[in-house]
Amino acid sequence: MKLIGSGHILKWAFTSLFFLCTAFGEASAVLAQEKVKEIRIADSKGDWGYPNPFRHYPRGPGYVRMSWVFDTLIWKDKGGYVPALAETWTFDGGKLAFTFILNPKAKWHDGKPLTSEDVVFTLDYFKKHPYRWITVDSVSRSEAIGPHKVVIYLSKAYSPFLSDIGGTMPVLPKHIWESVENPESFNDFKAYIGSGPYTFRDFNKAKGSYLYEAFPKYYQGRPKADRLIYVRSGKPLVSLANGEVDLANIKPDMVDPLKRKGMIIIKDERGWNKKLMINHIKPPFNDKRFRHAIAYAINQQEIIDKSHRGFAAPASCGLLSIDHEMYNPGTPTYDYNPEKAVHLLESLGYRKGPGGHFMKDGQPLKVELLASNITVAGESVADRDGEVIKKQLESIGMQVDLVNMEQATTDSRVKNWDFHLAVSGHGGIYGDARILNEMISSQYGAGSVNSARYDANPVLNKLMEDQMLEMDQEKRKNIVFKIQEIYAEDLPAISLYYPDSMAAYNPDKGIQWFYTRGGISKGIPIPQNKMSLIK
Amino acid sequence: MRNVRQIKPVAAYLLAGLILIYASYSMPRLLPGDFVTAMYSSSHVTLTADQEKKLRAYYSEQEGFSRYLVDLLTFNWGYSYAFLTPISDLILEALPWTLLLLGSAHMISMLFGFIAGVETAWRRGGGLEKIGVGSMTVLESMPEIATGVALLLIFALNLRWFPASGAETAYAMHSPMEWARDLLRHLVLPLSTLVLAYFPGNFLLTRGSMVMVLREKFVQTARAKGLPPARVRYAHAARNALLPMVTRFGLRIAFMVTGALVVETIYSYPGLGTLLFNAIAVRDLPLIQGIVLFSSLMVLFVNLALEYAYGWIDPRVNHAS
Repeated sequence: MKLIGSGHILKWAFTSLFFLCTAFGEASAVLAQEKVKEIRIADSKGDWGYPNPFRHYPRGPGYVRMSWVFDTLIWKDKGGYVPALAETWTFDGGKLAFTFILNPKAKWHDGKPLTSEDVVFTLDYFKKHPYRWITVDSVSRSEAIGPHKVVIYLSKAYSPFLSDIGGTMPVLPKHIWESVENPESFNDFKAYIGSGPYTFRDFNKAKGSYLYEAFPKYYQGRPKADRLIYVRSGKPLVSLANGEVDLANIKPDMVDPLKRKGMIIIKDERGWNKKLMINHIKPPFNDKRFRHAIAYAINQQEIIDKSHRGFAAPASCGLLSIDHEMYNPGTPTYDYNPEKAVHLLESLGYRKGPGGHFMKDGQPLKVELLASNITVAGESVADRDGEVIKKQLESIGMQVDLVNMEQATTDSRVKNWDFHLAVSGHGGIYGDARILNEMISSQYGAGSVNSARYDANPVLNKLMEDQMLEMDQEKRKNIVFKIQEIYAEDLPAISLYYPDSMAAYNPDKGIQWFYTRGGISKGIPIPQNKMSLIK
Repeated sequence: MRNVRQIKPVAAYLLAGLILIYASYSMPRLLPGDFVTAMYSSSHVTLTADQEKKLRAYYSEQEGFSRYLVDLLTFNWGYSYAFLTPISDLILEALPWTLLLLGSAHMISMLFGFIAGVETAWRRGGGLEKIGVGSMTVLESMPEIATGVALLLIFALNLRWFPASGAETAYAMHSPMEWARDLLRHLVLPLSTLVLAYFPGNFLLTRGSMVMVLREKFVQTARAKGLPPARVRYAHAARNALLPMVTRFGLRIAFMVTGALVVETIYSYPGLGTLLFNAIAVRDLPLIQGIVLFSSLMVLFVNLALEYAYGWIDPRVNHAS
């Protein structure tokens, strides 16, 4: 391995030279500057991995950066699913088969035509080398019928098929990946040849910047901007306001100043929730009544008002928000009721001691509450949720030890069940209802620290299994309704609120950005849908 | 005998270097959490138990210290978990920006802090000194984050004179001259923030040392000889007031990696501090080890260099018992 690259030395030698030139005002050859239309997008982290299926980070911004390069069979627009590589698709319930007719104009970035063989290859490749955003376990086989027709047969019904395999799975070029045995370490320029509207040009790891260029032969027409650039900005909002970038996430209280500067403000549906994780396998949290007492002691509106200046909405204890098409309005609620919380604790044998704190068997009721800054849509967000919850729980007689830690440490403790209560949060809750399974059951969400990993209720477990197998949307909706009811009744975790999620963009470039209904792919709450730059 | 005296400190530094290498190997492993949890556990990807187990096994491969040491000495610093890129490449990509920002800030604040301190001490008791000491004491107490945000809001958000983030306009199609100007424009705010943070300390330290030195008899002798005031100030007095400043410079260099973290974060300036911060956030163990080791060795090297610099600046040091 080389320790010092000659490229670095040369680059800095040139840098020094240019500084000198500037200082002494010497004339220098001026390169002709080509005028191109470019879009700049800012976020505060910058680095989200390389934009191919095996190297992007497993977070929303990582997927979005990949989605410019790799297209899927179908995609989501403002109103729902729209054609992408597949012009049409049908489902045959009898054969458990999806048929996709591909767009004959689709091409890879190296000019080769995209065919049904590529789709078949991709499914086979992901069976051998899993793409962690989806599972292809439900696919028994796939068949290319001619160059533009592909039939995918399922071994069993799989209700999130369109969301996962249709709308999330990036299609890979067979002629490139068929010889790749170790996709994680494949970093040749060919690893970034896709069929999306943009070609990947550069990722600067130190600066956290990405460069994409329009693919002129894109099958849906040449993209509106010639260059797409991501930059890291410590203060994306300032970068937007002073014209350095064209699109950035913003805090809701900055709406008016940005409007005065001519920016367009867009607001997302409720696709992200903050929640209180409960260690439901440890006494006394393993008693449902104790968890109910905590829920009644928490005043969601007070958290929103004190910690977020009112810019959020109280969450449903069934996880899904009112914006979700399968939201159950009859989900049990726990309206703030400290008296009821006290009564529940007393029914569990707790009695208030001399200091006004609950005691049982001579031991004080003392809980530890973990809190940390949570990353929301790529931005690390600081808040006072932990402090407010601590005060609320203390007001009913619990002793609360609030421990603020960085997110990775909190995640690690939650993961290892080394906690009592922890403030956490996640998105994806307006995507496919499969999110319920992932956020409730260890069978689906063992790897997630946001999952309650609650398997104690066999009825709930069965319903979650059923919803994955139900291809009829209405029937599935009924199952999902019941899941929400039981989840909210058992309460292994408490959803607290849905924060207002907003972005602002500069309309001068002629691009209309929008939040995708149900989120990009599996529910990514970021307004960087590639359809904004197409057509 | 003299050779032994010269070799002794070098041997001590080599021993310290070995200890630091061991610290860089072992300490990051004490961090709670691991790469798989940090990267996947709160992501959009929900791993199955089997996938998670395989990933954890892959990223938890333990290499012994002896292997680590051999790899280091053969310049094999390993690969970053997150970037899948050689550690040395990542450090070398970030280092120039750290050197540019921190190096410029230290040089400017040291040079001007020293001159201002010498001149103010020379004019002791005057209005200039009172204003200077008062204002520098206030400035010294200002945290970098406050100065940084204030400059950002005034000069980037309101006046729009300077860019708010980055070290250059990413992928701008500039001519070389335009690129150099662009680099300077991006440097102004972070550099000013750091200079405002470092300058007052340098000023106050130099002034304090200088006030003491000016009372020495050799300064009175120089004055009595009728030497020009500037020569008395700088060649005789200031040189003897320089040692504390050099020590401070060395200590500051020790914080080269983490010293600008706040400023790098506010202005999204690429550098080793940001690289380390992000590596810790995702528990990228090889990268943390690499940066910590690089930083530690740099401190050692600078301190070793200062040992010899002291003797050169003030020959009395070499004759001290």
